[in-house]
Amino acid sequence: MRKKIAILLLLFFLSGLLGGCWSRSEIGEEAIILGTGVDLTEDGLIRLSVQIASPGAFSAGGDTSGGGKEPPAWVVWAEGETIEDAERYLAMKVPRRIYWDHSIILVIGERMAKRGTEMVSNFFLRTGEPRENMWLMVARGEARDILQAQPMLAKTSAQATGFLTRMKTGYIVQIWEYAEMRASKGVQPVVTGVEVQDFGEGRGPGQGENSTVQKKVELSGVAVLKVDKLIGWLDAHETRGLLWLKGEAKEGAVIVPSPGEPGKEVSIKIRRSHTKIVPEYDGENLWFNVNIYVEGDMVEQQSRVDLAKPEQIKALETAMSEEIKARTTATLEKAQTEYGLDIFGFGNAFHRKYRKEWREMQNHWDEEFSRAGVNIAVEAHVRGIGLLSMPAGSPEK
Amino acid sequence: MLKFIKPRRAGMMSRGKSQSRDERPTNKPDQTVTSGGSSKKQVLTPDLETNLREIKSILNNCSDVVYREFVFAQNEQLKLALIYTDGLVDNAQVSDQIMRALALEVPMSVPGQQITKARALEFIRERGLCIHQINESAQLEDIIRSILSGDTVLLVDGHATAIINKARGWEMRSITEPEAETTVRGPREAFVESLRVNTALIRRKIKSPNLKVEALRLGEVTDTDIAIIYIKGIVNEKLVAEVKSRLERIEIDGILESGYIEELIEDSPWSFFPTINHSERPDRVAAMLLEGRVAILVDGTPFVLSVPTLFVEFLQATEDYYHRFLFSSAIRLLRFLAMIITLTLPGLYIAVLAFHHELLPTALLLSIAAQHESVPYPVIIEVLLMEVTFEILREAGIRLPRPIGQAVSIVGALVIGEAAVRAGLVAAATVIVVAGTGIASFVIAYNLSASLRLLRFLIMFLSAFLGLFGLISGLAVIGIHLCTLRSFGVPYLSPLVPITGVNLTDTLIRAPWWAMFYRPRLIARQNQKRLAQGLKPSPPPSRRKG
Repeated sequence: MRKKIAILLLLFFLSGLLGGCWSRSEIGEEAIILGTGVDLTEDGLIRLSVQIASPGAFSAGGDTSGGGKEPPAWVVWAEGETIEDAERYLAMKVPRRIYWDHSIILVIGERMAKRGTEMVSNFFLRTGEPRENMWLMVARGEARDILQAQPMLAKTSAQATGFLTRMKTGYIVQIWEYAEMRASKGVQPVVTGVEVQDFGEGRGPGQGENSTVQKKVELSGVAVLKVDKLIGWLDAHETRGLLWLKGEAKEGAVIVPSPGEPGKEVSIKIRRSHTKIVPEYDGENLWFNVNIYVEGDMVEQQSRVDLAKPEQIKALETAMSEEIKARTTATLEKAQTEYGLDIFGFGNAFHRKYRKEWREMQNHWDEEFSRAGVNIAVEAHVRGIGLLSMPAGSPEK
Repeated sequence: MLKFIKPRRAGMMSRGKSQSRDERPTNKPDQTVTSGGSSKKQVLTPDLETNLREIKSILNNCSDVVYREFVFAQNEQLKLALIYTDGLVDNAQVSDQIMRALALEVPMSVPGQQITKARALEFIRERGLCIHQINESAQLEDIIRSILSGDTVLLVDGHATAIINKARGWEMRSITEPEAETTVRGPREAFVESLRVNTALIRRKIKSPNLKVEALRLGEVTDTDIAIIYIKGIVNEKLVAEVKSRLERIEIDGILESGYIEELIEDSPWSFFPTINHSERPDRVAAMLLEGRVAILVDGTPFVLSVPTLFVEFLQATEDYYHRFLFSSAIRLLRFLAMIITLTLPGLYIAVLAFHHELLPTALLLSIAAQHESVPYPVIIEVLLMEVTFEILREAGIRLPRPIGQAVSIVGALVIGEAAVRAGLVAAATVIVVAGTGIASFVIAYNLSASLRLLRFLIMFLSAFLGLFGLISGLAVIGIHLCTLRSFGVPYLSPLVPITGVNLTDTLIRAPWWAMFYRPRLIARQNQKRLAQGLKPSPPPSRRKG
């Protein structure tokens, strides 16, 4: 009995060795990719650019002998027929194993996006290593430029861009959300837009000394995709409308004209909001009731109105709902008339309520959407007016 | 039967127990040295000279045995002899209460009349000795053992019986503070090497007639005193019988520490985990007894065994029961965490760094990668290097003479903490992991942390070869093994596995005293309730609302 147990134990532990450290890879043998960019070159090849962290630059304090002047990242690219093909060419240039797991952003160049984002996302969704919560974005211009830009407050542009998205100032998409939008017929995908802008002297990674212009990354609106091809952009203002209609305007501010003094503004910071889309269909006419609920705090006013008064608050709330309604209507009109695409997910709401009708309408949903009427109702509340009840020097009542 | 020492005379030191063992069928050939003599006990003769000669021949070359012959004060004709071991007796008592009393000061029973030889023994016993405890024996074996245990034997000419005086007294360590189980709050006394002092320490805590102290001798050569202590009425009688039967089957030349017994009676000798707990604190042993356990005391060591042992005991410190329960419970959870860290942290570190980099946040990964840029070894070698160094330092700290220990810790801290990292041999993160693991291992009881330290290396190797899969399968094997263990019939993991609801009050948390109604159910089977209901302090009924 004891012999048997001993043999079993021996087998158990020796079988551990059979794996032979399968798939083991030491941290020092890996090229940790922080950002990925995909462009379409002039001659129709796919160019894969990656931003590889050079760990020496990330050592904390203490030992300064090695790092210090070393640039924090290295941008390197290769071209190929497909992304994998380009990756194999890339492997010839990178002396370590290419490790995708920590890629924070995936940027698709404008030309590539016009050709089709599906050609890019397929690889990153199919292979196991890249994460599905990578931030997906479309560059205005070349994706490689985004990776080469000089970041502020972060060591690499990929990290900087990652932090930028997390501020939730614009509409942001992770690659799995994009895949979900692609898979659904009730919504057309929209992807964060980014661009580089010049500012000052250049010292970005990969730019070396010959570059003189420093570049920074900015979020810039939203790329609108038809099926998977880029057909247009929404600017920052229209993106706010998109966020309201998608129910994702959780942060930010609404600037409304002061109810007392024309020409002066009042800022209201959003505390919470939600959006409800109720489709109505009687067999012929399709329309949507969009109910937006928003609560906010007044944080600033240029006028000298006593906003502590209930009737002023009421007026403020009305102004706020007007402002939101105007913004959303603008975006909605652009989507309905210019692009003819349901980028808001109205189709999904319709699908949930009218399952039978959806079956026949889903294949020409975008036309149905363009024809549909939309009633936008905003319920706005101003909950707080901050620490000042009245601006200093206001006339006493 | 004596197997470990060649007796000088056949059967001289055989005991009742050994004889009964002879009657058992045995496949071993009968020992030639003792053949024939074992069944016949040697007894004293009425002749003093013969007896002395006999004893001297048995104890020859024992220069520490003292023979003192003298004449009885009441009868010049009557010769007496005292035999004792020098250093084991209280010299003052022997000189004053025995020698002086018998040689100079014995009163007349009838004035002017001599005590006859025939009445001498009775007279001496009744009136001659000022010793608090005396025995009589005619067995040579008993007498020899008494002499060697520190008793003073008085032989009276003409009588085949010896008087054994308990006038023991030897140099011993006084009761000090516990070294291994220190507390902030609680009694500050620890057991000592003397069995009698130790039983007294327990008796001082439990003044019940039900506290039973059964004596036993083990070790054919050392003849070590053992005491089995339990509280009748709480303890499971079957458990006492089982402990006794396990102890009685021990045949060994000597017992020098309770560890000998522990290894000879434990349930799973091959297991990494200790299934018998020990303590040097009387209060802890008393608590064990009150929960229905049996304590085994061994002469010559301050460490007392207690059985049955549960896994959770190693996470319970004595102090938990003295502090208020909220704090105690928090500390319990902390200890549980420390246990998990001790076992798995280096393994987890290796698995994550060698296989699963995706588990780390990007910023942390980059920082760790930066540290590893200059490290030439794979992470397993790095961790092993540090772990082995740490274990060596720990061992050095225990083993070295105390003044040098300081130097070791300074060198160790410098070598591990600074030089190794600066030299690029290991990453700073590795040092943190190893140091954290080391500190965590000090939080749990020493005998469990010793097992976990060994298993930690196993986990490290599994993690190095198979990553998290290896780590988890290693933990699963350990978990299954723990489930199979029993200590004296009680499942080792109880009350967690099998789950015993009422006893969960004293596991990962320590419930307030007014809520711990029951003793461990599987240990104290017959008598489980230890606390009255409704003891939770509250305002008197008159002041309650309604």
